[in-house]
Amino acid sequence: MATALGVSPNRMEVMKLKKRLGLAQRGHDLLKEKMDALVIEFLEVFRKIQDFRTKALKQLSTAHRALTNCFAVMGTLETTQAARETKRELQIEISTRYLMGISIPAVEFGGAQRNALTRGYSLHTTSSVLDEAAMEFERALGLLVELAEAEAVALAIIRELEKAKRRVNALEYILIPKLKEALKFILMRLDEMERENFTRLKRIKAILEERR
Amino acid sequence: MSYKIAVIGDRGTTTGMALAGATYTHVHAKRDETLAKLKEFLTSDEIGLVLVTHRVAEELGFDFRLMMRTKRLLPMVLRIPDKTGYVPGVDELRETIKRTVGAEIVVKKEG
Repeated sequence: MATALGVSPNRMEVMKLKKRLGLAQRGHDLLKEKMDALVIEFLEVFRKIQDFRTKALKQLSTAHRALTNCFAVMGTLETTQAARETKRELQIEISTRYLMGISIPAVEFGGAQRNALTRGYSLHTTSSVLDEAAMEFERALGLLVELAEAEAVALAIIRELEKAKRRVNALEYILIPKLKEALKFILMRLDEMERENFTRLKRIKAILEERR
Repeated sequence: MSYKIAVIGDRGTTTGMALAGATYTHVHAKRDETLAKLKEFLTSDEIGLVLVTHRVAEELGFDFRLMMRTKRLLPMVLRIPDKTGYVPGVDELRETIKRTVGAEIVVKKEG
């Protein structure tokens, strides 16, 4: 039994185990608190995502309608040609910030809106429908960037949550019970040894008394 | 740091996003090519956001999911509907929540 648990029954071991058990319990509590905090954070982000998603998807479908219109009016080739001529240097500012010790992206984006003159395609050969389509897509892109940020944050939180959960379960269902069992075993064994000793002494005393 | 935007999708989506100023575009035609391109986008240091249409993501299937799981924090990847407005019935995010939080499904209530 002693070898099965990998401990030898002595007082030193009891102290060590007690220390370990305390630490494990504290870690478990802390991790659980962290999980709760993460869930709260996550719910907030999730609500935001739903909001952004409906908005972005609506704008995107508007944009697609405008583009289809443009394909129809200007012709497919001309439209793709115009897209090729467009200045494609949109930049988004991304930095990382920290939330409960996990790094999440923080996006700063002023919106993609430009006016027809700065887009870079030739105004002379294109129709105003193209401007419209480009404008709608710029708007959609702005919303999509917001949505992407929120989703990235949610994903990061979920990953951390998964990790925390794994650890909590490992502590709760494996490490802590194991330690407790080992501790119980040692204490029982020590008690047993004491009782053995007690009877031994009694017996010796009886023998000594007989001899006298 | 400032980053650029990349798009993978059908011709309509890429054209529109190019008009809006997305720097890199790839029109999906062959699975292998798209996968290679996606890998390139994901490992690039100057791309901050990759937009992929749901349809393409679905066609890439397992490889796409694997890439999502193993990618770094940046670039962010967002799946968007294409011009038909196609969005798969199963919400990936919801699915993940179900897997991690347990049987709990988050339902948003208005107000």
